[in-house]
Amino acid sequence: MSHVKKATVDLSSIIKNQQSLKFADEQIMLNTRDLKVFYGDKEALHGVTMDIPKNRVTAFIGPSGCGKSTLLRCFNRMNDLVDSCSIGGEIILDDKNIYGKDVEVAELRRRVGMVFQKPNPFPKSIYENVAYGLRIQGVKKKRLIDETVEWALKSAALWDEVKDRLHESALGLSGGQQQRLVIARTIAVKPEVLLLDEPASALDPISTLKIEELIHELKKDFTIIIVTHNMQQAARVSDYTAFMYMGDLIEFGVTDTLFTNPEHKQTEDYITGRFG
Amino acid sequence: MKTSVKDWVKSGTPWIWLNAGAVAICMIMVVSLIGLIGARGLAHFWPADVIQATYTEKDNSRKVIGEIVQIEQVSATQLRDAGIEVASGIESLERKLIKTGNRDIGGIDFNWVLERNLSEKSTPAMLFTAERYEWGNLYGYLRALKQQDTVIAAHTGFEPSSEYTELWVLLNKSMARAIELKAHILDIEKDDIGSINYELERLRLKQRRMEIDGDNDIQELAQIERSTARLKEDYRKLEDRLISLYGEINRDSIDVEVSTGAIISVPVANLVRIFRANNMDTLQKVQHYFEKIWEFVAEEPREANTEGGIFPAIFGTVMMVILMSIMVTPFGVVAAVYLSEYAKQGFMTRLIRIAVNNLAGVPSIVYGVFGLGFFVYVLGGSIDQLFYPEALPSPTFGTGGLLWASITLALLTVPVVIVATEEGLSRIPSSIKEGSLALGATKAETLFKIILPMTSPAMMTGVILAIARAAGEVAPLMLVGVVKLAPTLPLNMNYPYLHLDQKIMHLGFHIYDVGFQSPNVEAARPLVYATAFLLILVIALLNLSAVAIRNKLREKYKALEV
Repeated sequence: MSHVKKATVDLSSIIKNQQSLKFADEQIMLNTRDLKVFYGDKEALHGVTMDIPKNRVTAFIGPSGCGKSTLLRCFNRMNDLVDSCSIGGEIILDDKNIYGKDVEVAELRRRVGMVFQKPNPFPKSIYENVAYGLRIQGVKKKRLIDETVEWALKSAALWDEVKDRLHESALGLSGGQQQRLVIARTIAVKPEVLLLDEPASALDPISTLKIEELIHELKKDFTIIIVTHNMQQAARVSDYTAFMYMGDLIEFGVTDTLFTNPEHKQTEDYITGRFG
Repeated sequence: MKTSVKDWVKSGTPWIWLNAGAVAICMIMVVSLIGLIGARGLAHFWPADVIQATYTEKDNSRKVIGEIVQIEQVSATQLRDAGIEVASGIESLERKLIKTGNRDIGGIDFNWVLERNLSEKSTPAMLFTAERYEWGNLYGYLRALKQQDTVIAAHTGFEPSSEYTELWVLLNKSMARAIELKAHILDIEKDDIGSINYELERLRLKQRRMEIDGDNDIQELAQIERSTARLKEDYRKLEDRLISLYGEINRDSIDVEVSTGAIISVPVANLVRIFRANNMDTLQKVQHYFEKIWEFVAEEPREANTEGGIFPAIFGTVMMVILMSIMVTPFGVVAAVYLSEYAKQGFMTRLIRIAVNNLAGVPSIVYGVFGLGFFVYVLGGSIDQLFYPEALPSPTFGTGGLLWASITLALLTVPVVIVATEEGLSRIPSSIKEGSLALGATKAETLFKIILPMTSPAMMTGVILAIARAAGEVAPLMLVGVVKLAPTLPLNMNYPYLHLDQKIMHLGFHIYDVGFQSPNVEAARPLVYATAFLLILVIALLNLSAVAIRNKLREKYKALEV
């Protein structure tokens, strides 16, 4: 049975990987051109071409191992940390290939921030966690740092909860608070793109709800790409959704359309819960 | 019955007993080790009663005065073999080790005597003990205090009297005066003359250096001449002062009647401390005890290390361990960081790790040999050639010293630090690293701001293990700079204050030296225990302070759930 399915995918992928959006009104922030990722000899992403619209939330969905996290991690070159990983194709940000030779990875990562599945605050105070990115950039002015920390914590809807204990350890916060702290830490360096790798999967429903509201707020200022296992979440928070399967981009379109009227059978099967 | 045993085994109870038993045995061994060393060592400082008895052997009888140090049973056969008559039917006899002191008279200060030969034992309150700077303890009856050769106070008989009280008061005054003068003399000898000698040596070396360099700066040379002359003049003045001080300090002396009935004259300047042990109440004994312990901890050794204190050894040990830690920590940490963060993992790193782990197992004497061959001769020799040619042929760094001892120990302990640090680095969750990198930090920034602070408790663990290993090492140190006696501390007021080239004393080596190289075995034995106890204390203290630092760091960088 799986053989049959695989065959279908391979056939369709020839066309499906070439999703170009026809959303005429959208500005494009990032695009990938025939992006391939290899782990050793194994090809994990079979050449993905897609456009990510600016100031919108784009969700990647798909079953485990479909390559959605791998794709996400390409946008800020996190895959560089994996020794055996190599990349083909291009990702264009501001007319420049981020895998080009003269690209400074640290600068790229400042522009393309990332929030991980599990909250990973540093063992420092709440204040220092948020100020970390600024200090890395060499910001010395205390007033500027103070203002940015406050702004970031407010933007992450955490300010009211922590304003009285900014200098206490971040490890004393709850999981949901920690995740919002990490988001605050990430937006404090004013990135252009925010990558969220299943940001709510380790959290309880209420914290999840807060994070989702937060995403809604943040898209005014940032281009957001979110990977999620939870289809309801994708439907709730995203403007555009990409469905991936076995390293291929199967379908990419306006979220409402994709969920109500998917073009491809696999997408339909997945979102209706027939597999995955 | 059978099934119940089976059930018992099945229930796991025997396993628990086995484990608990193992722990209990370990605890008992540690406690008894420390207990034995502590008791043997610390009991030595308690003022024992001084006994007086008549010793009779084959019609000869004489008076014995001294402290009982040890009592043991000897088998009759052994005694008969030694030619001593023992009536048949007697299995064993008791014999006592008596510290009779008065080495200047009898030549030996410890005697084994058979209990049956002792009679008329008593502990007269008037018996007097004098601890001396030379010749060890003196036991007897205080008879007179003399100034020059005139008697100014005297006492006869064996009962307390008003004359005795007066004699005692005057003697105490005289001793206070002598101690003051002695301190003055020491000041002059050690500090003033010490620095003059140091300066003179520096000038001599400067002159020699100019000679070697072919530098004929007349003015400079004249300057050196002038300074030398001035210093020599100062030296002569101090010498005159010393001579007069010595005259003054030797003014007073005491007469003591010893066990043979002879009168011995001892200069007051030679007295460390006087007391009548049999006349002391408990409080006085406690005070005496702590004075003796303080002397042991805080003063320099006397009498071929069998008397006095061991302060230079404590200082040398601590100094060396601290220097070792300062050297080994950055070195080991940097190596570990490269190995686990930067080096490409593969065959080479595996090989290096195996090598590092095996280095920790190399016998320490091998490091000593390496230290001597490489650090002392090659490195030290080259340093002398380059920087101290004026002092040659006498070596400056080309001989063992504090620096080389510390470096050798650092080399010995670097594997421990590397292994501990690597372990700490591997425990940092990769999510934290990624979090920092994702914020635009470079690898180096992540390392310095996040990873290294978080690894610091593990580094401290490495340092703790290193200290524990280094402080107890003796074998390699004998080759690279530890000596029997070096009362001058490597840290003093002469520029450059810390003298890395100086030889040092070390507690571990001190134990070996006192225990096995001492001319006076009986006097040395308690000191071996006391020194061993102190060594354990010093190591425990060093370790505890490192543990305290680690706990603080742990609290600060509380590890995340991985």
